[in-house]
Amino acid sequence: MSSSPPNLAVDFAGVKLKNPLVAASGTFGYGVEYEGILDLSRLGGLVSKGLYMTPRDGNPTPRLAETPHGLLNAIGLQGVGVRAFARDVLPRLARHDTAVFVNVCGDSIDEYAEVAAVLEDAPGVAGLEINISCPNVKKGGLAFGNDPAMTHAVVAAVRKVTKRPLIPKLSPNVSDIATFARACADAGADGLSCINTLLGMAIDVETRRPKLAYGTGGLSGPAIRPVAVRMTWQVARAVKLPIFGIGGISCAADALEFLIAGATAVQIGTANFVDAGVYEKILTGLTDYLVRHGLTDIRQVVGTLEIPERT
Amino acid sequence: MPTNRDVVLVDKQALGGPYFVLTFEHAEVATEGRAGQFVMIKAGQSAEPPLRRPFSILATDPAQGRFRLFVKAIGQGTRALCALQPGEPAQCLGPLGRPFTAPAADEEPLLVAGGYGIAPFLLMSHELRARGVTARVFYGGRTAAELQLREPFAAAGVPLVLSTDDGSLGFPGRVTGALEAHLDRGGDGRRPRLYACGPDPMLHAVAALAARRGLAAEVSLDPWMGCGVGTCLGCVVKIQGPEQERWKYRCACTEGPVFDATHVVWPGDATSAAAGAAR
Repeated sequence: MSSSPPNLAVDFAGVKLKNPLVAASGTFGYGVEYEGILDLSRLGGLVSKGLYMTPRDGNPTPRLAETPHGLLNAIGLQGVGVRAFARDVLPRLARHDTAVFVNVCGDSIDEYAEVAAVLEDAPGVAGLEINISCPNVKKGGLAFGNDPAMTHAVVAAVRKVTKRPLIPKLSPNVSDIATFARACADAGADGLSCINTLLGMAIDVETRRPKLAYGTGGLSGPAIRPVAVRMTWQVARAVKLPIFGIGGISCAADALEFLIAGATAVQIGTANFVDAGVYEKILTGLTDYLVRHGLTDIRQVVGTLEIPERT
Repeated sequence: MPTNRDVVLVDKQALGGPYFVLTFEHAEVATEGRAGQFVMIKAGQSAEPPLRRPFSILATDPAQGRFRLFVKAIGQGTRALCALQPGEPAQCLGPLGRPFTAPAADEEPLLVAGGYGIAPFLLMSHELRARGVTARVFYGGRTAAELQLREPFAAAGVPLVLSTDDGSLGFPGRVTGALEAHLDRGGDGRRPRLYACGPDPMLHAVAALAARRGLAAEVSLDPWMGCGVGTCLGCVVKIQGPEQERWKYRCACTEGPVFDATHVVWPGDATSAAAGAAR
């Protein structure tokens, strides 16, 4: 028996993460917003808010609605644009010892490639997450993520312009997510993020209007976790790529579900809004779990789902 | 710098109806919190409702490391907070946001509150008092039952002008009516500077009044807020300074909640008053 703490570090598509906890895109701003509130160096990594070539206003308000154990959002990818991010934000993030992934968006296949090309020379980028699954924009986004041929085309186009690890973020709003995972793998993806938000809607019955100005929105939070765990398991069986499991993680047991289902690491999303201290709580919980199970390394948990034979 | 802490309720005072004054221990909010700033707070460890809620800081006690909130229990989150008993926990991040700007020596600070929008003005009265300035507070509601936070102002000797839409207490009519009556009497002779907190239509009315009379005014906006730190982008409001061609969405949590009233693009308007005047 060793008395040293168990290893939490993982390798994700060639990127070394000091632990498997990564802040999810759209729930952590550009990372720098949390400077002074939490120690960014404690995170395995973070994924930036989605970025286009140019700044975007995003959607009208209201943009958020709480639902049972969940959050419905239609922000619409408000953002500063990739050049401002590379110029103003990346140097600040370089002060923190954490892996920085950039969420790449586009209205067209060309724009995805253009954004990736801008980042190719930017220092301090660990990898690119390709956003083909935002349900809250009219062009691009989900339009690329719910057609396997389009998914392949976007990933292949970005693959041509970058040597960086490429991680498409899959949409759950499809009938067979494994098909999309395979399309990404065929097009040269290095990893997958699984999943983005579920398309949803909430209605104010007094006014008979949608609670969100955009009408529909993306559902996140603990409410979607069973769906996300199931899809992570399906994707892990379909492809050999490392997976970021994402969907309603707010404690160590939640994170462990995804790892056991086959995710190499996980992303924390809506829980960031609830408690900036969530990372420390999950890290403590993961260590406790490993010790309790006599394990020395978090990688010993990955893909260990046991399915009892039916009798 | 905002600090995230598990805090404990140390005192609860039930006012009339759904109104409560809650006291929590949080050293950083107690020592660094300024009038107009807020905290994001959620009762206990319960999963529901998912998000914390924003509340203006009502009062601070740096010596004791405590602060107070004025809460109206109207929804799931506020009811859970007001159901806390002393000794029970909550999760709190603060202080957050941009505070009100202090008035100049030749300005008369007029604090205009609608309903539970009174919250930041107790702390502001104390801050002004510490600088030897007495604020005048206008406190309006639909009925007398909505004006539950009167006693602390009386105890501090702060002039409080009450108004009710139904005439059940104080000036009969809107809070802006009571304010205009004071302005028409010439105030205290100094240049008036307005500070307002309350429902959007009231803030819009105060902004319009200020624009009409050429007065400086700051408003504290209270849009639906998710995170409090500028990452969820849920609380954005349309803001346009005099030099700006068009409005931009600004986070009320980090770039507000206090804004220059002339920079706000109010619902139904195409531009802000500042941008309109600059053309």
